[in-house]
Amino acid sequence: MSPDEQALRADLRKAAFRLGVADGRWRAGEIVWPFVPIAITARDGRAYGLRFRCDGFPQSPPTAQPWDLEGGRPLPFDRWPRSQGGRLGAVFRPDWKNGTALYLPCDRESIAGHDAWRVQTPSKIWRPVDGLVQYLELVHELLNCRDYAPPLGAAA
Amino acid sequence: MSVVDIFYQGEHGREIEVAEAALAETLAALKGRLGERHGYTAEVLVFVEDEDEPLSDEITIEVIVERGGKLHFHHCREVEVTVGFAGKRHSRTFAPSATVARVKTWAAEAFNMTAHDAGEHVLQIAGTHDRPSPAAHIGALAGKVCKIAFDLVADERINGAPEEGARR
Repeated sequence: MSPDEQALRADLRKAAFRLGVADGRWRAGEIVWPFVPIAITARDGRAYGLRFRCDGFPQSPPTAQPWDLEGGRPLPFDRWPRSQGGRLGAVFRPDWKNGTALYLPCDRESIAGHDAWRVQTPSKIWRPVDGLVQYLELVHELLNCRDYAPPLGAAA
Repeated sequence: MSVVDIFYQGEHGREIEVAEAALAETLAALKGRLGERHGYTAEVLVFVEDEDEPLSDEITIEVIVERGGKLHFHHCREVEVTVGFAGKRHSRTFAPSATVARVKTWAAEAFNMTAHDAGEHVLQIAGTHDRPSPAAHIGALAGKVCKIAFDLVADERINGAPEEGARR
């Protein structure tokens, strides 16, 4: 097993990650290196899948794509969480890299070319010592804020 | 014998920790084990997360689990919290097991914020850029002292130009 995969597996055994699982905030699926699928719970109880790519972990930030965990494919845009014009929509952007990464400073794909974020959003820059929980807490907060709305056409 | 995970924080540091404990075990026994790990003395107080009164040593792990199963270890009975916003400050005491989320709820009310505005602000430790997790206990942030100061600051906005992309 490579050092980055070992580091990720150790990260998922940390108390902070396990506490999120115990609280029902997120749960991880099976690691198929370098990917790990994680479902994150929104305020209406819906779980949104993200597929994290973690090669180089933890020195390199992960990148995450909204993912259909049951179908094993990218999550169709009409099943993405919706924004009501606020901050969730600034992160869940189908127009950003064709929906293959969240528009977050702690995302490997999104920080590239956004050096200004290191000054503008220092608390959201990837922190290797905090591991995947940093990314998960940011997404969980968005899925539980007032701006969140379920996908169009979602059953009540 | 059923064994459960007990999550805890404390004055020893900011890391969330976990310990296994048997449901029939008393808090005194758990304190003894964790005292060896973190250097707690017998006088350390133990709180359930977001509860104001410390627990008695005789309480069982089973009862603690029924009350949420998350603990805090601290020698302070209370932590004095000061929050600054827009040139004003409000202070009150909380148990060290109070979460950042609970303190923020109080602060938003103290500063008469609307629910919308409250959602756009976060607590930042005064004099730093450190914005702790809502799940963090203030006793873990304060360390071995019994007071801490925050500023209520606007959450960092993520700005950027849209990029053209295909529709799935």
